[in-house]
Amino acid sequence: MSKPKASAYKASESEKATASIGLADKKFFREAYLPKLKEARDTSEKQDYTGVAEGRGNADTMQALTDRPTLAATRSVDSSANLASAATGQAANAFFQGTVGKREDQLGVLKNARGLANTATAGLARAGKIETSNLLAAATAKETRRNAMIKAGGRLGAQFASNVGDANAFEQAETKAGIDKSEDGVRKSADQGSFFEKGFGGIDIAGRGEKYT
Amino acid sequence: MSLGYIRSTYAGMYGNQRDNVSNMEQVNDPEAAFADITRQDYDDYLNNFRAFEERLLDATNDTSIIDNARENAPKQSKIAEGVAKRNTERYGGAGLSNVQKQEQQRAQQRGGKLNLAGGVNNARIQQRQVNQSTLQELIGIGQGVNNSAMQGLGDSAAMASQRRNAYGQAKANYSSQMTGLGTTMLLAAFGV
Repeated sequence: MSKPKASAYKASESEKATASIGLADKKFFREAYLPKLKEARDTSEKQDYTGVAEGRGNADTMQALTDRPTLAATRSVDSSANLASAATGQAANAFFQGTVGKREDQLGVLKNARGLANTATAGLARAGKIETSNLLAAATAKETRRNAMIKAGGRLGAQFASNVGDANAFEQAETKAGIDKSEDGVRKSADQGSFFEKGFGGIDIAGRGEKYT
Repeated sequence: MSLGYIRSTYAGMYGNQRDNVSNMEQVNDPEAAFADITRQDYDDYLNNFRAFEERLLDATNDTSIIDNARENAPKQSKIAEGVAKRNTERYGGAGLSNVQKQEQQRAQQRGGKLNLAGGVNNARIQQRQVNQSTLQELIGIGQGVNNSAMQGLGDSAAMASQRRNAYGQAKANYSSQMTGLGTTMLLAAFGV
């Protein structure tokens, strides 16, 4: 039985190859990926997602509430206050989303630096998905209701005028046919003022009405 | 299929890779290389990410959302006021009486104050939500770091213990061998 030889306990070729590959990969990681992770760290700190989100939120508010100014909205007491309220809510929501996105990015970088997880970029994606705030929704709904009431009023007016016109025409036709209903208490068209003539005394009701349809 | 055929086939398939591996830096002492890399990794972390981690830990006391809400409410009221003013001008005064104008202004002021109060209150809740969530994540990271550190320490302690036991065993073996050898020599000397 011979003495144990140190050479028998040397690293095998397989072990050496594995170690060489590990070392090469590690060097490559350090040269190629570490700078990227540092870049992600700097981006996550410097990138202002809140600005992007706020800009979008504000654009949404203004588009929804000031896109088509109306006289009714201008005359209303609370539309300006509603606009301010909606814009404030939307901006606050946007700033919140931007901050959350920024934090998520920063935590992702830290997790990666600590070797605990992969880095996932969420900040910009979040900034693009600002939810419409309740205040903007309420203000938009109010504006829509106001415009709908004006439209409905216009339609009612047009229909009323059209009905009056039809009634007058019918009555005139009866008069021409020699039907006198004065005994029944119905006034003859000749006694009526020009207001009840078709088109409210010559005003083109149909033309006005079309605007509201 | 002969062994020679397999060898030549694999040599053809992986010839290039084998060349690449043989051109790599030789590692004669993997343990020392591993120790170096572990040290380098930690240095990299300290140099590049420790300050970042500390800033993130400080961010759990962030108040930026609340501060922004305080600044933003008056700004938005002013913008809305401007919009209303321009619209009124666009409609040639919009037939508003002085009383209506005053009421509009009052509504604007009231809305502005309400926005400020409500906005800051909501911002406080949102800020708390963000800070809490950051803290939870950081605690999770800390737990991971702690576990990894404990594992490293545990491995080191286990290895040290193994070495100590092996050394004790070797000493006991040596002592036993020496005793055996002495006994044999004594017996041989006395011709037993």
